[in-house]
Amino acid sequence: MGEGIGEGGPLVRGTMGIVIILALLLASLPIIMTYSTLVMTSFANTIVSSPWVKFRFTLENWRLFLEGKLAPTAGIVYTPEDILRFILNTGIVAGGVTLVVLAASVTSAYAFSRMNFFMRSGMMKLLILLHAFPGVALIVGVYAIYVFLNNYIPRDYSIYYSFIFVIIARASLEIPMAIWILKGFFDRVPWELEWATIVDGGSRLTALRTAVLPLVKPGIAAVAIFAFLAGWEDLIYVLVFLPPQEKTLATYIESQLGSGSLETTYLPVVAAAGTLYLIPTIIFFVVTQRLLLETMSGGLKG
Amino acid sequence: MVEVRLEGVTKRFGRVTAVNSVNLVFGDGEFTALLGPSGSGKSTILYLVAGIYKPSEGRIYFGDRDVTDLMPNERNIGLVFQNYALYPHMTVYDNIAFPLKLRRTPPEVIRDKVLEVAKFLHISELLDRYPAQLSGGQQQRVALARALVKEPEVLLLDEPLSNLDALLRIKIRSELKRIQKELGVTAIYVTHDQSEALAMADKVVVINRGVIQQEAPPDTIYNEPRNVFVASFIGSPPSNIFPATMDYTEEPCINLPGGTRHCVEEEYAGVLWRMKPSKVIVGFRPEHAEIVENPVDGRPVIVGEVYTVEPLGRENIVTVASEDIHLKVITPPEVRPEAGELVYVAVERGKLMLFDPQTEINLKYIAREWSQGG
Amino acid sequence: MARRGRQALFFLLPMLILVVAFYILPLVLTAWISFTPLTNWRVRDQLVDFVGLENYVNLYYLARYDPDFHKVLQTTLVFVVLTLFINVVGGLVLAILTYLIDERISLGYRLLWLLPRMTPLAVFGLLWYYFFYGGPQGTLNSFFLKMGIIDEPMRWGTDPAMLPYSAWAIIVFVNGLVGVSYGMIIFYSAFKNIPRELIIAARVDGAKTWEVIRHILVPIVRWHIVFVTVWQLLSLITSYTHLFVLVQWSVVDKWYGTTLALYVFNTAFFDVKNQGFAAAAAVILVIIGSILGLLTLRIMRFSQMISPPRGDI
Ligand SMILES: Nc1ncnc2c1ncn2[C@@H]1O[C@H](COP(=O)(O)OP(=O)(O)OP(=O)(O)O)[C@@H](O)[C@H]1O
Ligand SMILES: [Mg+2]
Repeated sequence: MGEGIGEGGPLVRGTMGIVIILALLLASLPIIMTYSTLVMTSFANTIVSSPWVKFRFTLENWRLFLEGKLAPTAGIVYTPEDILRFILNTGIVAGGVTLVVLAASVTSAYAFSRMNFFMRSGMMKLLILLHAFPGVALIVGVYAIYVFLNNYIPRDYSIYYSFIFVIIARASLEIPMAIWILKGFFDRVPWELEWATIVDGGSRLTALRTAVLPLVKPGIAAVAIFAFLAGWEDLIYVLVFLPPQEKTLATYIESQLGSGSLETTYLPVVAAAGTLYLIPTIIFFVVTQRLLLETMSGGLKG
Repeated sequence: MVEVRLEGVTKRFGRVTAVNSVNLVFGDGEFTALLGPSGSGKSTILYLVAGIYKPSEGRIYFGDRDVTDLMPNERNIGLVFQNYALYPHMTVYDNIAFPLKLRRTPPEVIRDKVLEVAKFLHISELLDRYPAQLSGGQQQRVALARALVKEPEVLLLDEPLSNLDALLRIKIRSELKRIQKELGVTAIYVTHDQSEALAMADKVVVINRGVIQQEAPPDTIYNEPRNVFVASFIGSPPSNIFPATMDYTEEPCINLPGGTRHCVEEEYAGVLWRMKPSKVIVGFRPEHAEIVENPVDGRPVIVGEVYTVEPLGRENIVTVASEDIHLKVITPPEVRPEAGELVYVAVERGKLMLFDPQTEINLKYIAREWSQGG
Repeated sequence: MARRGRQALFFLLPMLILVVAFYILPLVLTAWISFTPLTNWRVRDQLVDFVGLENYVNLYYLARYDPDFHKVLQTTLVFVVLTLFINVVGGLVLAILTYLIDERISLGYRLLWLLPRMTPLAVFGLLWYYFFYGGPQGTLNSFFLKMGIIDEPMRWGTDPAMLPYSAWAIIVFVNGLVGVSYGMIIFYSAFKNIPRELIIAARVDGAKTWEVIRHILVPIVRWHIVFVTVWQLLSLITSYTHLFVLVQWSVVDKWYGTTLALYVFNTAFFDVKNQGFAAAAAVILVIIGSILGLLTLRIMRFSQMISPPRGDI
């Protein structure tokens, strides 16, 4: 508390500082409220409408959710859904997207940072443009390709085809940003390190492997996390490309609410799904907070 | 082991010409110092020899082998970077061992060699540390060890001792020289510390703005600088340099500041007679002059007023103002004139340097070229 | 030179393949489809049927005469303008406030505001589904009921009595919560680059907090404000995923919650499955997007961010 402003303490202190902190708290109230009521609802017998409402604690929602027992309409016969499968699917898509993004972005980012080639800066500009491109214009064309190629896929393999396609298509959306972020990390590795390896008898690839890559590990981690979260959170691509029975957590939640026929009493079960779905995001968030903040601001610094 | 030759080498970065048509020979097993101010192109020359830069024009030879288009890893060189370029994620040991690992040297051999070179450079206790845990001087020695351990044919050193304290520097520099001779490796040593260059090198190359100014043994560089730049760059404090008019009534004489005249020695007379420049640039070293009360013996003498006196203990540096020129003279400690005092500065016989005012080249060299040219 | 070219190609190849297959080719296809009568994804037979400019002409007629499409266009305009304002101004305010306070508290707030951006779309939708839920259990309803402002629960986003404003308010609010963090992060990191002495000196000279903000902080991020504005404008015009969820789950009215981008998506994949027509609308978006994208490149000082490689290896 006793630090002066010259020693890294807050720039505004005293009453003014407290006013600002309270104002921020007030502004953040919708975020705090909605997230906490979601989590609380997942443990309650009814929708918890605000964090200070009393409710009865129960694990019933989690049981119903994990057993897949969520009646579309009460009284209608239904088969329980395989929630573990949905979780696994979500993981497969997220993991797949991570792998594809890394495979396509690490070497390219290195090239953009370190090599001279035809249209180098033109290509980099194109990538930035692509990042900002109307995704909806892309998805129409991408789906046309999907449908077109599907004709040549044997029926037995079509489910693999769908998964692979959705993974690669979704990963492609992340690639421009991933390259841009990674390029920033490569740019910070001194050239002399790479030269030292080559002078000492290594090839350029050896230099990349032994001298450069170990130093851009944080960048690779950041990109991997972003890619994983992108795959994990995706709703649109999974909804469009995967057959209806192959759900992820996103499309599962979507199907419950989108049908419009879900009874109010079952809403807390969906909250359990949402809470579970949120967990990896929160974990990454807490564990890597500074890296995430830094990377996000580094992406497009001026 | 091998001689390194640059033939007509030019290196341009966009509009900047960092190295301009350089012809240089670094003799086999010789220790050559590359001396020049900051930004003069020293590192660039080193990188050209290493193969990190490719010349825009000209060729580079190692002995008979044209290496211009070879990659650095095909040249068997050791290079100490100006900023050390140690691998931050490896220990000191691994850093030094790295070049040997790349050559697939057996681990026992690696171990022995690393320990040996570490001992030589006084870094044996540091082997388990990471570069970030070392001081600048320690890092520099690790970088030196990494270059030496592979026993290269050509050793390139980019200011490798600049961060050491004076004591350690002198110690390592003599040992470095010894090991260089022992290995017989051709060494190119970049520095902007002239005393280091003069003390260590078999040959000194002075470079400025990418152009070679002089290439000669240390004492020649010191005693017979080829041009004004070398004269003023070498020496501490630097040479006194000033323009003067000429008078050719009987023999070539210089009108020195303060109104005295000095008629030149034999070796300059011929050249001056032939060129008859109306002006020359005059230079002499502060250590080649003294302050006298009575100018009699025919030495060149400049009359002036004492401006400042800087006592340095072992000697004094006296600045004398004559007309609008400030001259520095090194005097013994007991000679400590008062500021404002009128004094005579006498330059040792034969130590006055004369340069052509246009090309700034030492007239002595012009005379020599003429006599050689016939 | 040839060797180095091959080397670069080798490094770039995976990216090039994906970019061609999932950006270039789809874009060309979308443009192509906009000249075909493609419906229900019958790519085999309809992809080579040309109808000329029919889809574009239809788009024109729709824009002139169709009341639903009018709503979409209105919504697009309102949504983009208001959300953009919130994103830029809100981002700036957040960045300034978090910059001024204690670092640890600031970190907490910045992470909190980043949370909506990182939250899975379905979960984020779910939060607002509960918040605006039409029954008495909905957060907003329960609050207003308790306060006695309303007597019975309202269907906030769909009640015709409050349309279009309530639906617009909801989509702007929900998207603003996501979008505001971008500006916050960019501005905040720009502030962090200001030498602290500058602000301390101003403080010593007696500048009030407000004056520090006005005369130091805001001028320093002037360029960043332009950049964030253009970049966010682009992303608001083209984004549709959050709106998709809100509309699909009936949190907001169908037409007053649909922007042009979402309209394209729904037309192609859900409602009428008329891809030819959707593609024509998409092409319009692409044109707007390209112009804004090029504008962004112009102002982003691109040449400073990509320096030529050193060495000739
Ligand atoms: N990659 C490059 N691009 C453009 N200009 C360069 C590059 N490398 C060097 N230069 C320029 O070439 C000139 C010579 O640079 P060099 O690094 O060889 O100088 P130096 O003699 O080693 O200086 P110092 O003693 O400061 O290390 C300088 O003017 C420098 O600005
Ligand atoms: Mg240098």
